[in-house]
Amino acid sequence: MTAETIIQSLASGLLMGLLYGLIAVGLALIFGLMDVVNFAHGEFLMIAMYITFFLFAFFAIDPLLSAPLVAAALFVFGALVYLLIVRFAVRAKANAGMVQIFSTFGLAIVMRGVAQFFFTPDYRSVTHSWLGGKTVSIGGIFLPQPQLIGAAVAIAAFGGLYFFIHRTDFGRALEATREDAGAVALVGIDKNRVFALGWGLGAALVGLAGAIMSIFFYIYPDVGASFALIAYVTVALGGFGSVFGAFAGGIIVGLVEASTALLLPPSLKSVGIYAVYLLVVFVRPRGLFGSI
Amino acid sequence: MMDTDFANRRRRDLIVAFCLAAIAAIVPLFVKDVYVQNIMVLTLMWGALSQSWNILSGYCGQISLGHALYFGLGAYTTTLLFTKFGVLPWFGMLGGGVISAVIAMGLGYPCFRLRGHYFAIATIVIAEIGLLLFHNWDWAGAALGITIPMSGDSWLKFQFARSKLPYFYFALALACVAWFVTWWLEDSKWGYWWRAVKDNPEAAESLGVVVFNSKMGAAAVSAFLVAVGGGFYAQFVSYIDPESVMGFQFSLLMALPAVLGGIGTLWGPMLGAVILIPVTELTRSFIGGSGRGVDLIVYGGLIIAISLARPQGLVGLFSPKRKEAVR
Amino acid sequence: MTAPLLETRGVWQRFGGLVANSDVSISIGRGEIVGLIGPNGAGKSTLFNLIAGVLPPTQGSIWFDGEDVTALPAAERCVRGVGRTFQVVKSFETMSVIDNVIVGALVRNTVMRIARRKAHEVLEFCGLGARVNVLASDLVPSEKRRLEVARALATEPKLLLLDEVLTGLTPIEAQTGVELVRKVRASGVTVLMVEHVMEIVMPLVDRAIVLDLGKVLVEGKPGDVVRDPKVITAYLGDRHAVGA
Repeated sequence: MTAETIIQSLASGLLMGLLYGLIAVGLALIFGLMDVVNFAHGEFLMIAMYITFFLFAFFAIDPLLSAPLVAAALFVFGALVYLLIVRFAVRAKANAGMVQIFSTFGLAIVMRGVAQFFFTPDYRSVTHSWLGGKTVSIGGIFLPQPQLIGAAVAIAAFGGLYFFIHRTDFGRALEATREDAGAVALVGIDKNRVFALGWGLGAALVGLAGAIMSIFFYIYPDVGASFALIAYVTVALGGFGSVFGAFAGGIIVGLVEASTALLLPPSLKSVGIYAVYLLVVFVRPRGLFGSI
Repeated sequence: MMDTDFANRRRRDLIVAFCLAAIAAIVPLFVKDVYVQNIMVLTLMWGALSQSWNILSGYCGQISLGHALYFGLGAYTTTLLFTKFGVLPWFGMLGGGVISAVIAMGLGYPCFRLRGHYFAIATIVIAEIGLLLFHNWDWAGAALGITIPMSGDSWLKFQFARSKLPYFYFALALACVAWFVTWWLEDSKWGYWWRAVKDNPEAAESLGVVVFNSKMGAAAVSAFLVAVGGGFYAQFVSYIDPESVMGFQFSLLMALPAVLGGIGTLWGPMLGAVILIPVTELTRSFIGGSGRGVDLIVYGGLIIAISLARPQGLVGLFSPKRKEAVR
Repeated sequence: MTAPLLETRGVWQRFGGLVANSDVSISIGRGEIVGLIGPNGAGKSTLFNLIAGVLPPTQGSIWFDGEDVTALPAAERCVRGVGRTFQVVKSFETMSVIDNVIVGALVRNTVMRIARRKAHEVLEFCGLGARVNVLASDLVPSEKRRLEVARALATEPKLLLLDEVLTGLTPIEAQTGVELVRKVRASGVTVLMVEHVMEIVMPLVDRAIVLDLGKVLVEGKPGDVVRDPKVITAYLGDRHAVGA
């Protein structure tokens, strides 16, 4: 194993990690806001990938152009999921923990079923996009362009999110609501509206990730499952509810995955991530940057 | 007076269960259709598994989404012991149960410090690690899996090529055992401790309940029974590979009947299985056709509806006046 | 003189830079009813939790019934004979009243029939005999307080720790509560009660310990304590709490 291979795989691990961070941050945002884990998060990603695919297949819109449209569509979808399902799930008195987990799990199963029914279980892909298959060589290190752009989008999204949370009125309302939902009601902020917008925003972020992913990943009804687990691990690693934690967690996951792939057979590459995650939560049950 | 009311209710549960089991036992003598018998076997098996899952996740409140690990361990232990060492499946199932119980406690040691969602996600990840390890374990068949060699019908080797009946009766027995264990533990110190731990661990601790040990006990019983079910399943399908016994869908399938029927209740898991399994099997074959996802839509929808509209499960509908009747 | 039932010896508790208890040494004799009082933030709840074993003290030791229990966790202290209630009630909401109490009774006897009978007796004793099969979540607040007492009594404690059980009750409810505490003592259980509002507890207790700023300020007969200028100063600006 040469130094070059190591740098090569760590560099692609870093790029992939930033994308993992982007997939996961919506989950972290929603959890931080209202203590709910969206177990359909992977299916949100799946839907985003299908939308990108169909925009490409029917209207020949390149994923890079359709990304904002996909994000917008997912925003609406996320807000609707909150208003139609989650809003009622968090009110449950009996078996509250179970209701929260299984209401979104049920949604995940339905979404997978719907995808199978309408789109069939076939694997699809965006066949010839602007970036697909192209690489950039920097000092002998080859980096795939889609991942490079994906990483750039992820960094921009995190920057934008940071600005949004700390500098805008809605961002401040979001922060206030996560701290004390009861008190914000007193100052006239509609909790449901904030939560719905929070869900929309979380879904829009995963939509963005889905659009980029569809450039270099196969699209099929179960595609969300594998990424969802990585997203949970990323978020739990960074600390649930911490946006910065999702960013850092994503990078860690990407790098660990790349290093595991160097040392173990490819089919075991996820074991490294899971093992690191377990180590972290056993030592720090609330993750690296988790509060409380 | 209160005591006799309570004892009567317990006895009534036992009698009802006995009658239902007796009725179930004679059904296949009249229903000869293999397809229907197959559904009955699966219903009983999932009922038993869900009943076992319910001990840790329902009574003790530690929602596990990784029980596929124990199911798979049971299946693999039974199969490997038989194919590699000629150990009869009967001992294999028990061995799988013991191994799973020990592993459940080993994993519980770090995991039970985690709460709520953190615990649930850790269980998913651990089961996934198990899956990946079996995928890469050549001695255990790796991704190709293991076929159990068939050598004619035999009770000793618990394999039957022609008739489903023996499997049916084993599944029925397993369901009865899982139900009875739950019934028995429900009115024991463990049952009370588990419910106390679920409702409020801090208060439980103040009343002398060692919360950690309670969770460990629940995990061990739960994993043992699930692993026996896994051993049975391996014999029933006579071929196993990592995905088909340890995949995440098994963890979910174990939880769903209990969620539907009533999590943390004595009758919920069985009731849930009796509704859910036939419904999914029937939608799959009649509407679904080539696995087009309608079955997923049906039971995903059911789960959402139950979670939102009736979080205590369907079981209450069958004895709505129970609480008042005791008074 | 027999040894005291409970003793804290030079107990300190720090949370980061904050000192919640500094060098607290108190002792409770067998059969006493002792009130632990003090203004808000005096460190009563912390001391209470140290005695119950929720957290270990930073420094110092806690002795119960002639034994050093400093290192024992809450469950183990319950086995030794320390029962407690919670300021914010922590009923087992999805369980019936009787099942709540059975959890406590199981510490002394794991034969279900006996634990159940014990639970019935305790509920009768606490005046909840008519609410046995009601779900804990359906009780009114004053009943929940009494359920907490019943649950703790079912563990057959030698020392019962009551955390503001009388606060926030109507005068009639509080009066029933006072009678219950007297009955408990009459049955041979020692009682340590934390209260913020002095006027409720003073007529009830044999002795009062006043905490202020994490230290023992004064201790003595309730009548002397209320007239002590130091206590009055400590409670100044908190007139409501002094009441009478």
